[in-house]
Formats: sequence, structure tokens, C-alpha cells
Amino acid sequence: MSTGALSQQHSPWSINSRTVVFGAVGAALYAVLGLFSFLIPGTQSVTVRPAFAIVPFFGKRFGVIAGFFVGFVGNVIIDLLQGSGLQYWNWSVANGLVGAIAALIFAAIPPISNEAVRHIVTALGALVATALGLLFVITDIWFQEGVDFNVFLTLNYLPALLANGIAVVILVPVLDAAWEPLAKRAGL
Amino acid sequence: MDITPRYLGSGSFLGRRDPRLLLLVPVLYLVAVANVADVRGMLLCTAVAWLYYLAAGIPWREVRANWALLLTFTLILVVVNSVVTGADTRAGTGPALFTIPVTGTEMTWTTLSYAVTTLLRYISLSMVSFPVAFNIAPSDLGTALARLRLSQRLAYGVDLTFRFLPSTAAALRETVDAQRVRGYEHSRSRNPFRKLLSLRPVVVPVTVNALIDAEDTVNAMDLRGFGAKHRTWMRELAFGRTDYLVLAGFAVLAGAMTATKILGPFGEVWTP
Repeated sequence: MSTGALSQQHSPWSINSRTVVFGAVGAALYAVLGLFSFLIPGTQSVTVRPAFAIVPFFGKRFGVIAGFFVGFVGNVIIDLLQGSGLQYWNWSVANGLVGAIAALIFAAIPPISNEAVRHIVTALGALVATALGLLFVITDIWFQEGVDFNVFLTLNYLPALLANGIAVVILVPVLDAAWEPLAKRAGL
Repeated sequence: MDITPRYLGSGSFLGRRDPRLLLLVPVLYLVAVANVADVRGMLLCTAVAWLYYLAAGIPWREVRANWALLLTFTLILVVVNSVVTGADTRAGTGPALFTIPVTGTEMTWTTLSYAVTTLLRYISLSMVSFPVAFNIAPSDLGTALARLRLSQRLAYGVDLTFRFLPSTAAALRETVDAQRVRGYEHSRSRNPFRKLLSLRPVVVPVTVNALIDAEDTVNAMDLRGFGAKHRTWMRELAFGRTDYLVLAGFAVLAGAMTATKILGPFGEVWTP
């Protein structure tokens, strides 16, 4: 039994019809489910977006390009639907990077036979990808006037990591476990 | 729940423009307003953004909820960062007008001027971004990105994403209804972990079903030789003289504002 990441015959960097379609499906899922979020009690503005778990999941299962596409395009569409347009484009890139980094992390992890360990590794890998990918929002310091390192860390990065981290730790292993038998059956 | 992207500016001045123009203008505007600290310079840019927004012809009643959300979020951001906590502000040399209780942040004309500048920047950026959301026909976005030299396959992916949105939203509705019939209820708990776990019966089937259905699309595209040759698009886009003029106008604005930030007064906070 493998970690459930990309099978050996697929390069994580390839762009084929499968990458394009699964990327598009993932972005649509992220956009639709991404409109649902809820506030963490006791905080002022930290909202958990459950759909964020779709980004590292697609990165793990369908590669770097699909992972980036899901995070980037999905977030752009959410912004478009909410009316912000491309104003926060660097947050969309950060979302995309989460998917891309998740793909690279899981491509590097050797097969794990124990199911429980695999779920834990999946959760941790997704969390690390989220922590690394969201670091890109440090660009707010240069692109959003008046954001310094403290603002980036305390108001932007850490709240986003907390909110999205909770979502990926819980939902990515669940999604992965649900897709594992179907992926095997389909030979993916 | 209507998830379909709304094409609201049909027939307006911007609605008749090449969609590539609507994608390029926010980039140029972002260059123009980046690091402008003088409120007079920002007012000038905001006036341009306002005219651009009016040209989009977006009905107010359709987007007032979007504006309410954006203005609330932006106002909180600026008030908290620039006024209450002083995390993002510019020190002034003038006398303190008043002091914020608890945080002890001293308010000067410089601080207030800078806060207004920041607020205007966010609002005006939204003005030039709204036409991207509401004046580009969803079916034109893929073509526009391909014409902007994005990879043909990825441009088609964007096109495909917009086609999948209505069916994905419908699948979500059906799944929620089906699970409700089985007794599913969304958790009212305040515990975020419990709330997330309660979403499993919705998120997992919607995702897995979408992936299974996607296999058919992959097979259909493979059978038609997707990616084997350079893709052509049915939709023809033409960058007209008016498009060039608008683009040139924003390019001049970006160049002029950059020059004034470096050489002139717009790089410093203006104090009345």
C-alpha cells in the first residue's frame, strides 16, 4: 500500500488532460465550498474555510500543476464572486503554492503501509504545505501599503495558518481515505 | 445559492471592451497606487478609478452587498491598523489631536491623513477590480487568458472551471438534501473541530462524485486529442483603438504616479 500520493508513472509536473480536468474540478469545488466559512469563537476575524482542505488534497493526488491551479484559480473565483477582483492576487498565489508544495512533499514521502500512520503523515504533510505556502503573503509588505512584518505575522499569517491549519488537519486525511480505494480501482 | 458568476455590465462602455483590457487595467492601477502616501495623489487616482467604475455600468442594487462587505472589512482593517493600534501608521511632527484610550496611540494630522490614504487605496483598488468580476463574460475568460500568452492548456482549464461551477453547486445542493433526508444536521457547536467533522457527510461525497464524473471528461478530451496540437478558440478577440487608448491612459497614470513618488511629493504623507 502506498502513501496514496501520485503513482510512479505520473510526474508531479506533467500537464495533460487529467491535470487540466482535475485542476478545473478542484478549483470549482474550492470556489463553491469556499463560500462557506465560520468564525472561531474568541477571535475577531479568524474564519475557518473548510474547503481549503481541497487544495493540499488535490496537490497530493494530482500533482504540482493541479494543486497550484486549484488553490490559485479557486481563490481568484471566490474573490471574483465576492467582488474583490484581483486585489488580493498574492493571497491567491499563496493558496496555489499550498497545493504545489503539498504535491512536492507527498511525492518525496516513501510508501507507508500502516493506515493510521499514513493518515497522520497526510495531515502533517498538508499542515507543513499550508505553513510554507501561506508564507507568500509576506509579499503584503511590498504590495499592500502599510503592512509591516508585525502586521504580516500577527494579523495576516498566523490567523490564516490557524484557521486553514485546522481545516487541513481534519479534512485532508478524510478526503484522502475516501479517494484511496477509488484511485486504486481506477489505477491512478 | 447562486454560485454562477454574474455578468452584470453587459452593453456598458467596459462591457464592450476587449476582456484583456479589464485584466490589464488593475495591474497598471496597482503599480500607480503602490506606496502613494500623499492623500492628494490618492484622491487623484481614486477619481480615475471612480470614472472607470462608472464606465462599467454595474447596477448598484446587484453589488451593494459586495460593497457593504468590502467597506466593512476595509474600514475595520484601516481603523484597527492605522488608528487604534498604530501598527501601520506614519509618525507626525505636529501636536497630538487626541489619544486613543487603552492603546495610548497618539493621533496627529499626519496619522489621520495616512489612514485616509490607505482607506482610499483599498476602495479604489476595488473599483478597478469589480469590472473583472462583473464585466467579463465567463465564457471569454479562458480566451482572454490564452491571448495573454498563458499556457493554452491552463487557459482551457480556467474555461473549464467556469463550466463546472453550476454543476458543482447543483451537486452540493443535491448532496445536502440527500443527507438531510438521512437525518443530517449541520452542527451548531461552537467547537471548530466538531463543526469541521460534521461537514464530512457533505464535503466527501461532493468531492468524490465530482472526481468520478471528471473521468468521463478526461476520456472525452483524450479521445479528441486534447493537447496534441496548438489549440484554437472559436471566440475572436480584437483589441480596438478605444482599448489601446484606455490602456495607454492607465499606463501614463502608472508612469506618472511612479515618477512623482520618486521625484515629487506623493511619496510623503501630506499634512494639512
